[in-house]
Amino acid sequence: MNFDLSDEQRTIKSTAREFLAARYPLAEVRRLALEEERAFTDAQWDEIVSLGWPDITELGTVELVVLAEELGYALAPTPLPSTWAAGLFGASGGRGALVVDGVAADAGYADVLVDWDGARVDGADVEPATSLDPTRRLFRVTGGTREPLGGDVERARLQVAVMNAADSVGVAERALEMAVAYAKERKQFGRAIGSYQAVSHACAQMLLEVEGARSAVYWAAWALDHEPETAPLATACAKAYASDAGRRVPRAALQVHGGIGFTWEHDLHFFLKRGEANAHTYGEASEHRERIAALNL
Amino acid sequence: MDLSLSPAEREFRDAVRSWIEANHPGREPDSDAEVFEFRRAWQRALNERGWAGLSWPTEYGGAGATQVEQAIFFEEVARAGAPSLANVLGLAMGGPTVIAHGTEEQKQRYLPPILSADEIWCQGFSEPESGSDLASLKTRAVREGDEWVVTGQKVWTTYAHEAKWCMLVARTDQDAPKHRGLTYFLMDMEQDGVEVRPLVQITGEAEFNELFIEGARIPHENIVGGEGNGWPVAITTLMHERAGLAFALQVRVQVALRELREDIQAAGVADDPLIRQRFGRLYAEAQVLRLTAYRGLTRATPGPEGSLGKWHWAEVNQSLTELAMDVVPDDPRWQYRFLRARANSIEGGTTEILKNIVAERVLGLPRA
Repeated sequence: MNFDLSDEQRTIKSTAREFLAARYPLAEVRRLALEEERAFTDAQWDEIVSLGWPDITELGTVELVVLAEELGYALAPTPLPSTWAAGLFGASGGRGALVVDGVAADAGYADVLVDWDGARVDGADVEPATSLDPTRRLFRVTGGTREPLGGDVERARLQVAVMNAADSVGVAERALEMAVAYAKERKQFGRAIGSYQAVSHACAQMLLEVEGARSAVYWAAWALDHEPETAPLATACAKAYASDAGRRVPRAALQVHGGIGFTWEHDLHFFLKRGEANAHTYGEASEHRERIAALNL
Repeated sequence: MDLSLSPAEREFRDAVRSWIEANHPGREPDSDAEVFEFRRAWQRALNERGWAGLSWPTEYGGAGATQVEQAIFFEEVARAGAPSLANVLGLAMGGPTVIAHGTEEQKQRYLPPILSADEIWCQGFSEPESGSDLASLKTRAVREGDEWVVTGQKVWTTYAHEAKWCMLVARTDQDAPKHRGLTYFLMDMEQDGVEVRPLVQITGEAEFNELFIEGARIPHENIVGGEGNGWPVAITTLMHERAGLAFALQVRVQVALRELREDIQAAGVADDPLIRQRFGRLYAEAQVLRLTAYRGLTRATPGPEGSLGKWHWAEVNQSLTELAMDVVPDDPRWQYRFLRARANSIEGGTTEILKNIVAERVLGLPRA
């Protein structure tokens, strides 16, 4: 019984943290999100491919979660999660996108589309759709043909839910770090606002939720690889909890920042938006709680 | 990462499980006095097997078990509905404090009777005027030759009426800054200067006591960790309380959750979407509590992170009993648990103090 990452997993994590910090500083995230049509460049995608990241799913769900969490932490705008999602449903080759309820992130520039039932989608109409989260482009996908790929759809659904939950963990962790840093530095009434319990207790609550979400996500990822009978329940717990943490923590972080956190020029709103968008992806928290109830009651 | 049990851990679990099955003394008796003797007998049986001081070093009569083995043990005890141990404060807090800060003589003298439950321990920390601000405590010890003479009042003293030894924190230097003037004593409860009065709580029972100390005498050699060094020694006790007990307590949450699940079904509300949402949320929270407790096990000594687990446990246990009140409001067992749970966010450090600790010592925020 050991929750620690293996040496290899730790290396994946630290390599990703360094690479993403160098390539996706928040100024670049902002530029990509607001100015770049696809929110990424070909050079960026090629570099990610050369790192072998699209194939990380072959190593295991824990490895996938390690990397997905780092993408959320960096807030990296990249079609990589969509590519993973399509791959998990059995559609590989180039960039992918996963269509759920007629909507797919990154579908406008994907090489392969797959739907929630594990069928390959060809010849569909793909139109841009509005997205709350500017780091991820959404598209409405209609028509086209469906060809079942024969993959393990149930497992793929769980895996993409856990992958998305991991992104929320990263988003929440970074928002917590920003809130704590600001609470140490911002002074009002002659002292750091982090010395006031109304602020410090809010930060402590954020830590509880970030660490709790991380525990649940790693449990689910591990179960998917090693204890499949637990995976549906663990995934429902992880997604429900991390979806909530992924939006509650940035909201609280914004409150700690006060007015500056509400401005366009501050980066916090990107975290708020990504965490909120994640919570509405691959099942609402309430649907996952219902699933927990269904598995128990 | 490997969340399954290793072969050695599985073997340990099976050994614990079959031993408990063979030695389970049955349901606890109802009367307070009988319960205590029942728990003492259970602890002695465990001690003969070498498991009362599971985590203690083997040289002091413990089993030197890993933290994961302790966790497994708690899980098995809860699973089997086995009784609590009589000397829980001695085992989880007093013993580890003596092991960490005591002299060799103290270890030889105090540890074996903790394990055998021949000497029960209680904790004299809180005072009527010093709850969360523990270091402001006023109970005073004055040196007279080889002895210290103690006067003051303690409160919330669990097991005081059964205890032989009290982990007593008293002020020995009136002039020093408040954290530095304290000393940690082991006070003999069996003397004229100590009076124990039961404190009736909102459940109607008296789990806790008030302690009136008037000229009680403590030999100088009963100081643990040195004169004036009481604060860090007391912190050791508190960290063990939060870390050690928290694991056992989170296991009980899992058991209570299983019971609640059955009661939801029996009450015919399993199809109510609001109940289902609340159950789903609670279940996820309880899993998070369990997982975070396991993640904490890899740490060698309990640290400030334990505060997070204790605070979260209080929240989850309260939510659980609140949901139960909406499911089976007339069930006396849940009524009791609901009332008892109100203390969870106060005892062993209020949630507000625990949040302070997390904010300051884990997040590094400035002191309030």
